[in-house]
Amino acid sequence: MHNSHGYNILTVGVGGTGVISATQILAWAALEDNYQVRTAETHGMAQRGGSVVGYLRFGSNVKGPLIYKADVILSFELSEILRYSEYINEKTSLFVSKDILIPPSVYTYNIPYPSQDVILNHLRKITHHVHLIDAGKMAKNAGNPKTSNVVLIGTIYGAGKLPIQESSLKNAIIKFVPDRAKKINEIAFQIGIQYGRKIKEGFYE
Amino acid sequence: MNKPDYAEDSPGKELILMGNEAIARGILEGGAIIAVGYPGTPSSEILATLATMQKFHSHLMLEWSINEKVAMEVAYGGALSNLRSVAVMKHVGLNVASDAFMTACYTGVRGGLVVISADDPNCYSSQNEQDNRYFGPHALIPVIEPSSPQEAKNMIKDAFTFSEKHKTIVLFRTTTRLNHGRANVILGDIQKTETKPDFDRNPSKYVCVPSNSRRMRKELLQRLEKISEESDSYPFTSLTLSEKRINGKKFGFISAGIPYAHLMDALEYFKIAENVSILKIGMIYPPPKKLIQKLLENCDEILIVEELEPVIENFVKQIAYDSKITTIIHGKDVFPIAGEFPVKLYLEKTAAFIGKEFATQELLESDIELPPRLPLLCPGCSHRSTYWALKQAEKKLKINAFKSGDIGCYTLGVYKPLESLNAQICMGSSIGVANALSKVQTDKEPVVAIIGDSTFFHSGVSGLINAVYNQNNFLVIILDNQSTSMTGMQPNPGTGVKITEESGTKVILRDLVKGCGIPEENIWIEDSNNIPKMVEKLEEALQAKGIRVFISRHVCSLLEIREWKEQKVVMPEVKVDPEKCIGCMTCIRKFGCPALVEIEYNGKKKSSIDPSICRRCQVCIDVCPYGAIYCEE
Repeated sequence: MHNSHGYNILTVGVGGTGVISATQILAWAALEDNYQVRTAETHGMAQRGGSVVGYLRFGSNVKGPLIYKADVILSFELSEILRYSEYINEKTSLFVSKDILIPPSVYTYNIPYPSQDVILNHLRKITHHVHLIDAGKMAKNAGNPKTSNVVLIGTIYGAGKLPIQESSLKNAIIKFVPDRAKKINEIAFQIGIQYGRKIKEGFYE
Repeated sequence: MNKPDYAEDSPGKELILMGNEAIARGILEGGAIIAVGYPGTPSSEILATLATMQKFHSHLMLEWSINEKVAMEVAYGGALSNLRSVAVMKHVGLNVASDAFMTACYTGVRGGLVVISADDPNCYSSQNEQDNRYFGPHALIPVIEPSSPQEAKNMIKDAFTFSEKHKTIVLFRTTTRLNHGRANVILGDIQKTETKPDFDRNPSKYVCVPSNSRRMRKELLQRLEKISEESDSYPFTSLTLSEKRINGKKFGFISAGIPYAHLMDALEYFKIAENVSILKIGMIYPPPKKLIQKLLENCDEILIVEELEPVIENFVKQIAYDSKITTIIHGKDVFPIAGEFPVKLYLEKTAAFIGKEFATQELLESDIELPPRLPLLCPGCSHRSTYWALKQAEKKLKINAFKSGDIGCYTLGVYKPLESLNAQICMGSSIGVANALSKVQTDKEPVVAIIGDSTFFHSGVSGLINAVYNQNNFLVIILDNQSTSMTGMQPNPGTGVKITEESGTKVILRDLVKGCGIPEENIWIEDSNNIPKMVEKLEEALQAKGIRVFISRHVCSLLEIREWKEQKVVMPEVKVDPEKCIGCMTCIRKFGCPALVEIEYNGKKKSSIDPSICRRCQVCIDVCPYGAIYCEE
């Protein structure tokens, strides 16, 4: 099931949408499960509305922070995953948020934003494990659209694609959200898990 | 504020820390007192983390310096007074600091002095990709480099003792993936140094006049010789020899830093870590001569794995030549000099080196053209307003200014749609370069230097004095957003807030500029977001004679929304009236605020504002030529 040694998760999206905090939450959860953990993250200039990526590796013996092929990719934005297709192979599970953030270059460079079908068709040629998630809507249902990163973490756990204990994930989520947002994030996590379980059962694609 | 876990005095506790947090922890554990620097990606979080520790470890004396040279001098002054000190900067910062650095290496130190240089392979957030390991042989001081956050913490803690033992400055070099990567880190004990600060009045040791410097240079070389003898036994350097052969050959590897970590993963991937010899180098300079000789003697062929320049490779080849060893040495004939190495490259090159099959999967060709997602000026950014107003003023005057740019968020004005910069090399260069450009300018093509507040304090001010003195006449626009935003909104002399959030003395930009010799009538101060007024006053400034300074002032949008939130100010929503909007797209395609989007309205393309992105600065109201954007009162 694993791509090379260790478990490799790539989190991609747009600066300021929770990509880096998702990587951080997963790293702390992996620590609680006594794994060796490595991450590499986008900070600084590139973060200003740019494409952002968090590399996460954990296992019994991982040293470098970067990834060869990912076991799981979480894309917080529909088209962003296409920038990282070099990390996908036939074993990679993709969890792609339906949420769209139109980059201004669509107007300034006159390059249209690709359609959902075009994106999914391309991804399905590389791997069968492509899951489209309405993360924004689920986060809103949880009570705050900003919790979509926690929804996605719940989804991959529920789908059986995250070899970390539920309690460790929960503790890590609690650690990184402000007191007033703890309840909402716990709900978001549970909503994600329920959806992930449905994916696992083959109920959803 | 709660005590952060990395500030606790709890040795043995295991945490996940970012490289920069681990380095800050190592500085605390190593008993440093003075820690200073200038913000610069990827180094900025080191001092920021120390600032969060300072409340619980009040012996720490922290400062954001106005530039890296001053930071270097402050840290040196600390070390001179027998205090353990550290100066923190990004790689290009060491260029700024190098005047102080090169000669400080001559006198050596009393208290341990570590200089941190955070290099940036692939220029993720930098103007160049220089390899600061070269500063070791250049300045004749040791260069050390960690390969993981845990090692970074331990290594910098040890570096203060090492520095004091040899009376040498230590250069601690990292790269982006170390600074901005998280990993398990086990905390150590926090050392309290017992040394008392005092003055050592010994001019022959500390005054670098020629008669002293000639002697000091010899002493410096002697110190280096002693350090060189210890490089082989440096605790963060290790040699593993293997007698095993692969395809009949004994292979060896030399690596350091982040490349070492990825090399080890590649060797594990091919399950050959036990079958090859590996020299892991912690002290890059002076290199571990005996260990290199041992490795070379043990192997038929070796591969040196290092990003950027062939620094280790050149040492190894020199050692091989001097000791008449004929082992085949590979390095930059295999790995590229430019850029960061992806994991795929480690796998491919390692496999090819040992003669193993490794087929990387062909990537699926994609004919999807993806719109680029370049870093942008934020929604509501006041720099966009200034650039816009400048364009309008130029249009009115029918001129095309040559715009000499600088380092900061506003450098992003080079991209579409603003495309408002013609040149930029380094901190402060906008004004320095404009000194000569102004000799070439014409009425139709006047020169404008554009620089941020923090960058002006950093090194713009010297270029301005140069212009005043030499009567080089051009317009300087200081984009005063009262923050060092690109690196994380650090305060600066113009804000009068210190790194510890205590208040310092505010340096008044207007007074400073006046003090540089700019006459009162050639100084303008306007609110960047008041477009009509900005255009009018910029027209005036562009046409005026002499050296002129236009301070375009509006607080960084990220700080402004934070202030509004704290003060519970609710700004009215900004909207586009689709009936008035004629779909000219000026706001989207020429002004380019990310909150403005295209919509279909009655079958026609119109502008609209995404309320979730809009920061309600209201600037686009003045941008729309048809008065279609309004504020909901």
